[in-house]
Amino acid sequence: MLWTITCRRLKRDRRGISNIIVIALSLVIILAIVSNIVLWNYEMNQVDWEKMRENVIITNVERVTGSQFTFENDGGLTVHLVSLWIINSTDHQNYDISVFINSAETKNYLREDISLPTGGYTVKVVTERGNTAVYSGS
Amino acid sequence: MRKLSRNRRGITPVLSSLLMTVIAVAGMSIAITATYVITDGLHDNMGERLIVEDVWFTSGQVSLYLRNVGKVSIKVAVVYVNRTDQSFTSLELEQGKHGWLNVTYSWSADSAYEIKVVTRRGTNVVDYYMSPS
Repeated sequence: MLWTITCRRLKRDRRGISNIIVIALSLVIILAIVSNIVLWNYEMNQVDWEKMRENVIITNVERVTGSQFTFENDGGLTVHLVSLWIINSTDHQNYDISVFINSAETKNYLREDISLPTGGYTVKVVTERGNTAVYSGS
Repeated sequence: MRKLSRNRRGITPVLSSLLMTVIAVAGMSIAITATYVITDGLHDNMGERLIVEDVWFTSGQVSLYLRNVGKVSIKVAVVYVNRTDQSFTSLELEQGKHGWLNVTYSWSADSAYEIKVVTRRGTNVVDYYMSPS
Protein backbone atom coordinates (compact mmCIF):
# COMPACT_ATOMS: atom_id res chain seq x y z
CA MET A 1 0.00 0.00 0.00
CA LEU A 2 2.71 2.41 1.07
CA TRP A 3 4.80 1.38 -1.93
CA THR A 4 1.93 2.10 -4.33
CA ILE A 5 1.41 5.53 -2.82
CA THR A 6 5.11 6.33 -3.08
CA CYS A 7 5.17 5.20 -6.73
CA ARG A 8 2.14 7.36 -7.55
CA ARG A 9 3.71 10.36 -5.85
CA LEU A 10 6.92 9.84 -7.77
CA LYS A 11 5.03 9.62 -11.06
CA ARG A 12 3.15 12.83 -10.33
CA ASP A 13 5.96 14.86 -8.84
CA ARG A 14 9.05 14.70 -11.04
CA ARG A 15 10.89 17.65 -9.53
CA GLY A 16 14.48 16.77 -8.52
CA ILE A 17 14.65 13.57 -10.57
CA SER A 18 17.35 14.96 -12.88
CA ASN A 19 19.54 15.78 -9.88
CA ILE A 20 19.31 12.21 -8.69
CA ILE A 21 20.19 10.91 -12.17
CA VAL A 22 23.21 13.24 -12.38
CA ILE A 23 24.44 12.14 -8.96
CA ALA A 24 23.95 8.47 -9.84
CA LEU A 25 25.86 8.80 -13.12
CA SER A 26 28.66 10.77 -11.43
CA LEU A 27 28.93 8.07 -8.77
CA VAL A 28 29.17 5.42 -11.47
CA ILE A 29 32.01 7.32 -13.17
CA ILE A 30 33.87 7.90 -9.89
CA LEU A 31 33.42 4.26 -8.92
CA ALA A 32 34.75 3.15 -12.32
CA ILE A 33 37.87 5.35 -11.94
CA VAL A 34 38.56 4.35 -8.34
CA SER A 35 38.00 0.61 -8.84
CA ASN A 36 40.14 0.61 -11.96
CA ILE A 37 43.04 2.33 -10.20
CA VAL A 38 42.73 0.26 -7.04
CA LEU A 39 42.72 -3.03 -8.98
CA TRP A 40 45.70 -2.01 -11.10
CA ASN A 41 47.58 -0.82 -8.02
CA TYR A 42 46.86 -4.15 -6.35
CA GLU A 43 48.23 -6.00 -9.37
CA MET A 44 51.44 -3.93 -9.45
CA ASN A 45 51.90 -4.37 -5.69
CA GLN A 46 51.62 -8.10 -6.28
CA VAL A 47 54.36 -7.84 -8.94
CA ASP A 48 56.66 -5.95 -6.54
CA TRP A 49 55.90 -8.34 -3.70
CA GLU A 50 56.77 -11.34 -5.88
CA LYS A 51 60.00 -9.63 -6.96
CA MET A 52 60.98 -9.12 -3.32
CA ARG A 53 60.35 -12.78 -2.51
CA GLU A 54 62.68 -14.01 -5.26
CA ASN A 55 66.14 -15.19 -4.30
CA VAL A 56 68.29 -17.01 -6.79
CA ILE A 57 71.99 -17.86 -6.33
CA ILE A 58 74.67 -19.04 -8.74
CA THR A 59 76.44 -21.67 -6.66
CA ASN A 60 78.92 -22.97 -9.22
CA VAL A 61 80.29 -22.36 -12.70
CA GLU A 62 82.36 -25.05 -14.37
CA ARG A 63 84.31 -25.45 -17.57
CA VAL A 64 83.09 -28.67 -19.20
CA THR A 65 82.34 -29.20 -22.89
CA GLY A 66 81.19 -25.61 -22.95
CA SER A 67 80.07 -24.29 -19.57
CA GLN A 68 77.90 -25.61 -16.79
CA PHE A 69 76.12 -23.29 -14.40
CA THR A 70 74.50 -24.34 -11.14
CA PHE A 71 71.57 -22.24 -9.96
CA GLU A 72 69.83 -22.49 -6.62
CA ASN A 73 66.44 -21.03 -5.87
CA ASP A 74 66.31 -19.97 -2.21
CA GLY A 75 63.11 -18.00 -2.56
CA GLY A 76 59.52 -19.01 -2.10
CA LEU A 77 58.49 -18.71 -5.73
CA THR A 78 59.38 -20.41 -8.99
CA VAL A 79 61.87 -18.26 -10.87
CA HIS A 80 62.27 -17.86 -14.59
CA LEU A 81 65.81 -17.01 -15.67
CA VAL A 82 65.74 -15.04 -18.89
CA SER A 83 69.21 -13.63 -19.37
CA LEU A 84 72.78 -14.84 -18.80
CA TRP A 85 75.83 -12.58 -18.87
CA ILE A 86 79.48 -13.54 -19.15
CA ILE A 87 81.53 -10.48 -18.33
CA ASN A 88 85.26 -9.92 -18.31
CA SER A 89 87.51 -6.89 -18.72
CA THR A 90 87.17 -6.86 -22.51
CA ASP A 91 83.73 -8.23 -23.28
CA HIS A 92 80.17 -8.24 -21.96
CA GLN A 93 78.40 -11.17 -23.61
CA ASN A 94 74.65 -11.62 -23.23
CA TYR A 95 72.73 -14.84 -23.88
CA ASP A 96 68.95 -15.22 -23.88
CA ILE A 97 68.00 -18.23 -21.79
CA SER A 98 64.81 -19.74 -20.44
CA VAL A 99 65.30 -21.75 -17.27
CA PHE A 100 62.59 -22.38 -14.70
CA ILE A 101 63.68 -23.28 -11.16
CA ASN A 102 61.17 -24.31 -8.53
CA SER A 103 61.39 -23.14 -4.96
CA ALA A 104 64.26 -24.79 -3.02
CA GLU A 105 65.48 -26.51 -6.18
CA THR A 106 69.06 -26.64 -7.50
CA LYS A 107 69.46 -26.92 -11.22
CA ASN A 108 72.45 -27.49 -13.50
CA TYR A 109 72.37 -25.64 -16.78
CA LEU A 110 74.75 -26.79 -19.49
CA ARG A 111 75.60 -24.63 -22.49
CA GLU A 112 77.99 -26.16 -24.98
CA ASP A 113 78.12 -22.98 -27.06
CA ILE A 114 79.38 -20.81 -24.19
CA SER A 115 83.04 -20.90 -23.33
CA LEU A 116 84.21 -19.11 -20.23
CA PRO A 117 86.95 -16.50 -20.74
CA THR A 118 90.43 -17.02 -19.38
CA GLY A 119 91.32 -14.96 -16.33
CA GLY A 120 88.79 -13.32 -14.08
CA TYR A 121 85.16 -13.24 -15.13
CA THR A 122 81.72 -12.52 -13.76
CA VAL A 123 78.60 -14.51 -14.49
CA LYS A 124 75.26 -12.81 -14.02
CA VAL A 125 71.73 -14.13 -14.43
CA VAL A 126 68.58 -12.06 -14.58
CA THR A 127 65.10 -13.27 -13.70
CA GLU A 128 61.92 -12.36 -15.51
CA ARG A 129 60.81 -10.30 -12.49
CA GLY A 130 64.02 -8.25 -12.65
CA ASN A 131 66.30 -9.71 -9.96
CA THR A 132 69.92 -10.59 -10.60
CA ALA A 133 72.42 -13.10 -9.22
CA VAL A 134 76.15 -12.65 -9.65
CA TYR A 135 79.05 -15.11 -9.52
CA SER A 136 82.72 -14.21 -9.79
CA GLY A 137 85.27 -16.79 -10.94
CA SER A 138 88.63 -17.15 -12.61
CA MET B 1 2.15 17.83 -44.59
CA ARG B 2 -0.24 20.76 -44.84
CA LYS B 3 -1.58 19.96 -41.38
CA LEU B 4 1.92 19.84 -39.99
CA SER B 5 2.97 23.11 -41.60
CA ARG B 6 -0.23 24.80 -40.35
CA ASN B 7 -0.24 23.37 -36.85
CA ARG B 8 3.09 24.02 -35.18
CA ARG B 9 1.92 23.57 -31.60
CA GLY B 10 4.08 21.12 -29.62
CA ILE B 11 7.14 21.43 -31.85
CA THR B 12 9.14 23.48 -29.34
CA PRO B 13 8.95 20.90 -26.51
CA VAL B 14 10.02 18.17 -28.96
CA LEU B 15 12.97 20.25 -30.17
CA SER B 16 14.02 21.17 -26.64
CA SER B 17 13.84 17.53 -25.53
CA LEU B 18 15.89 16.49 -28.55
CA LEU B 19 18.46 19.19 -27.86
CA MET B 20 18.67 18.20 -24.20
CA THR B 21 19.18 14.56 -25.19
CA VAL B 22 21.99 15.52 -27.57
CA ILE B 23 23.64 17.67 -24.86
CA ALA B 24 23.29 14.90 -22.28
CA VAL B 25 24.78 12.28 -24.63
CA ALA B 26 27.64 14.64 -25.56
CA GLY B 27 28.31 15.39 -21.88
CA MET B 28 28.38 11.73 -20.96
CA SER B 29 30.69 10.97 -23.89
CA ILE B 30 33.11 13.65 -22.73
CA ALA B 31 32.93 12.35 -19.16
CA ILE B 32 33.56 8.75 -20.24
CA THR B 33 36.45 9.78 -22.51
CA ALA B 34 37.99 11.83 -19.71
CA THR B 35 37.62 8.86 -17.35
CA TYR B 36 39.33 6.60 -19.88
CA VAL B 37 42.19 9.06 -20.47
CA ILE B 38 42.77 9.65 -16.74
CA THR B 39 42.74 5.97 -15.77
CA ASP B 40 44.82 4.98 -18.79
CA GLY B 41 47.50 7.54 -17.88
CA LEU B 42 47.58 6.39 -14.26
CA HIS B 43 47.68 2.75 -15.41
CA ASP B 44 50.72 3.43 -17.54
CA ASN B 45 52.50 5.39 -14.80
CA MET B 46 51.91 2.67 -12.22
CA GLY B 47 52.77 -0.18 -14.58
CA GLU B 48 56.27 0.96 -15.55
CA ARG B 49 59.16 -1.17 -14.27
CA LEU B 50 62.68 -0.99 -15.60
CA ILE B 51 66.00 -2.58 -14.64
CA VAL B 52 69.59 -1.97 -15.67
CA GLU B 53 71.05 -5.41 -16.35
CA ASP B 54 74.55 -4.33 -17.23
CA VAL B 55 76.75 -1.27 -17.57
CA TRP B 56 79.68 -1.34 -19.96
CA PHE B 57 82.24 1.47 -20.07
CA THR B 58 83.70 1.63 -23.56
CA SER B 59 85.75 4.27 -25.34
CA GLY B 60 83.89 7.59 -25.14
CA GLN B 61 80.61 6.06 -24.11
CA VAL B 62 78.77 4.20 -21.39
CA SER B 63 76.40 1.45 -22.53
CA LEU B 64 73.53 0.38 -20.33
CA TYR B 65 71.57 -2.78 -21.00
CA LEU B 66 67.95 -2.15 -20.03
CA ARG B 67 65.10 -4.60 -19.59
CA ASN B 68 61.46 -3.68 -19.41
CA VAL B 69 59.97 -5.80 -16.61
CA GLY B 70 56.77 -3.76 -16.33
CA LYS B 71 53.32 -4.01 -17.84
CA VAL B 72 53.61 -1.22 -20.41
CA SER B 73 56.09 -0.15 -23.07
CA ILE B 74 58.71 2.41 -22.06
CA LYS B 75 60.69 5.12 -23.80
CA VAL B 76 63.84 6.58 -22.33
CA ALA B 77 63.53 10.36 -22.09
CA VAL B 78 66.66 11.50 -20.24
CA VAL B 79 69.90 9.98 -18.99
CA TYR B 80 71.89 11.73 -16.27
CA VAL B 81 75.50 10.94 -15.47
CA ASN B 82 76.54 12.63 -12.24
CA ARG B 83 73.36 14.73 -12.41
CA THR B 84 74.13 16.14 -15.85
CA ASP B 85 71.99 15.08 -18.79
CA GLN B 86 73.86 13.36 -21.60
CA SER B 87 73.13 12.56 -25.23
CA PHE B 88 72.11 9.00 -25.95
CA THR B 89 70.72 6.76 -28.65
CA SER B 90 66.93 6.66 -28.60
CA LEU B 91 65.51 3.53 -26.99
CA GLU B 92 61.95 2.27 -26.79
CA LEU B 93 61.21 -1.09 -25.20
CA GLU B 94 58.00 -3.05 -25.45
CA GLN B 95 56.84 -5.17 -22.52
CA GLY B 96 59.46 -7.86 -21.74
CA LYS B 97 61.96 -6.53 -24.28
CA HIS B 98 65.56 -5.47 -23.66
CA GLY B 99 68.33 -3.59 -25.39
CA TRP B 100 71.43 -1.39 -25.21
CA LEU B 101 71.24 2.28 -24.38
CA ASN B 102 74.41 4.01 -25.54
CA VAL B 103 75.27 7.19 -23.67
CA THR B 104 77.99 9.43 -25.00
CA TYR B 105 80.27 10.28 -22.10
CA SER B 106 83.99 10.74 -21.56
CA TRP B 107 84.59 8.77 -18.41
CA SER B 108 87.71 8.45 -16.29
CA ALA B 109 89.17 5.18 -15.10
CA ASP B 110 88.47 3.86 -11.62
CA SER B 111 85.74 6.36 -10.77
CA ALA B 112 82.23 6.02 -9.46
CA TYR B 113 79.42 7.44 -11.58
CA GLU B 114 75.85 8.08 -10.61
CA ILE B 115 73.76 7.08 -13.62
CA LYS B 116 70.07 7.86 -13.71
CA VAL B 117 67.70 6.73 -16.46
CA VAL B 118 64.37 8.52 -16.67
CA THR B 119 61.48 7.36 -18.83
CA ARG B 120 58.97 9.56 -20.66
CA ARG B 121 56.38 8.93 -17.92
CA GLY B 122 58.82 9.86 -15.16
CA THR B 123 59.88 6.48 -13.83
CA ASN B 124 63.56 6.53 -12.97
CA VAL B 125 66.28 4.05 -12.13
CA VAL B 126 69.39 5.35 -10.43
CA ASP B 127 72.54 3.59 -9.22
CA TYR B 128 76.29 4.02 -8.83
CA TYR B 129 78.66 2.23 -11.20
CA MET B 130 82.44 1.94 -11.08
CA SER B 131 84.42 2.46 -14.25
CA PRO B 132 87.18 -0.08 -14.93
CA SER B 133 90.72 0.76 -13.94
